[in-house]
Amino acid sequence: MDHIKRKEAAFFGRITAGITHEIKNVLAIIQESSGLMEDVLDVTENNAFPHKDKFIKSLDRIHRQIQRGIDITTSLNWFAHSPDRSPASLDLNETAQQMVLLLSRFARLKNVVLETSPSDPPIVITSDPVSLEMALFESIEILLKAINTGGKITLSPRKIQNKCILGIGYENTVSAKEDFPAQISSTERWASLQETMAYLGGTAKTFDPTPEILLYLPESIDD
Amino acid sequence: MEPMKILLVDDEQEFVTTLAERLELRNMKVMIAMSGESALGFVETDPPQVVVLDVMMPGLGGLEVLEKIKAMNSRIQVILLTGHGATKDGIRGMQLGAFDYLIKPIDIDELIKKLNEAVKRMP
Repeated sequence: MDHIKRKEAAFFGRITAGITHEIKNVLAIIQESSGLMEDVLDVTENNAFPHKDKFIKSLDRIHRQIQRGIDITTSLNWFAHSPDRSPASLDLNETAQQMVLLLSRFARLKNVVLETSPSDPPIVITSDPVSLEMALFESIEILLKAINTGGKITLSPRKIQNKCILGIGYENTVSAKEDFPAQISSTERWASLQETMAYLGGTAKTFDPTPEILLYLPESIDD
Repeated sequence: MEPMKILLVDDEQEFVTTLAERLELRNMKVMIAMSGESALGFVETDPPQVVVLDVMMPGLGGLEVLEKIKAMNSRIQVILLTGHGATKDGIRGMQLGAFDYLIKPIDIDELIKKLNEAVKRMP
C-alpha cells in the first residue's frame, strides 16, 4: 500500500475508533438507566406494581441488546485500530473471531451462519492487519456469491506441514453450485483476492468439493 | 457501620448521575465530579475512600488526576474506567498506583465487588 493510502486508512480508523468510544458511552448510559429501573423494581412489592413482569421482560431485552451493541462496537473498535501498526503480530484465531462478528450481517442476508473453528495452539503470524482482514472479507464475499442460500461458513486457522493456512469453508445439507473452483476462479473478485494475497506474500487456492478457499500465509510478511 | 464513601469522576453527566443513584440504593455515600479539577477539590476538602475515575476526560486526564490524588492522599484507592482498546491505560494506571481498572460499560456487580476489595486494601 502506498503512503497516502496508508494515511487514508489510518484516518478512517481514527475517526471510527473515536466514534466507537462515543457509542460505548451511549450504551453505558442506557445500561445504567435500565439497571436503575431494575434496582427500583427489585425493591417494589409485586402487588404494588401490576405490570412488573412485563417491565422485567422488557429490561431483559434491553440488556441483551446492550450486550449485542457492546460486542459490535468492540469489534468495530478492534477493526478501526487495524491500520495503527503494520506489520503486526496477529493471532489468527482472534482475527477470525473478530471478522465473524463484523461480517455476520453480510452472511445473514443469504441465511448463512458465520462461525470459527479456532486452532489449538493458536497460530501467530506477522502480517499486515488491514490486508489480511480484506483477504478474509473478499473470500467470504466470493463464497456468498457462489453458494446457494443457507448453510454455514467456517473460518478455520490451521497449520499443515509448517504452512499457516486460514480456511474459509462452506457446508450445507444442499450441495453447493457445481464446479465451484472453475466458477469462482474466473471472477474479478478472485483476481482481487489474489492481488491482496500477493501483497501479504501468500496465495489463495480453492479446494473442492467442500467447497473451501484456503489462504496460505507466510509466518512473516517479510519472508 | 458507616456507609462506603465514593467519588465518581466522569464527564458524561447522565452516566455518572445514574450510576450514583444505583450506588446510593446500595447504601453508599456518593459524590460526583465531572472533571479532574473538580475531583481534586473533593479529595482536598472531603476525601472519599474510593475514587472511580474515567481515564478519558477533557482537561486533566484520568491518569494525571490519579497521580495527583496519590500525591495528595495515598490512602485513597482509585478504580479506573477505560474503554475497549485502551486497556494499556488501565495497566499504566495500576503502575501509577490505581487499585484496578474496569472497562466501560461496566457491570454493577463487578464494580461493587471491586469497591469492597478496594476499601479492604486501604492502609
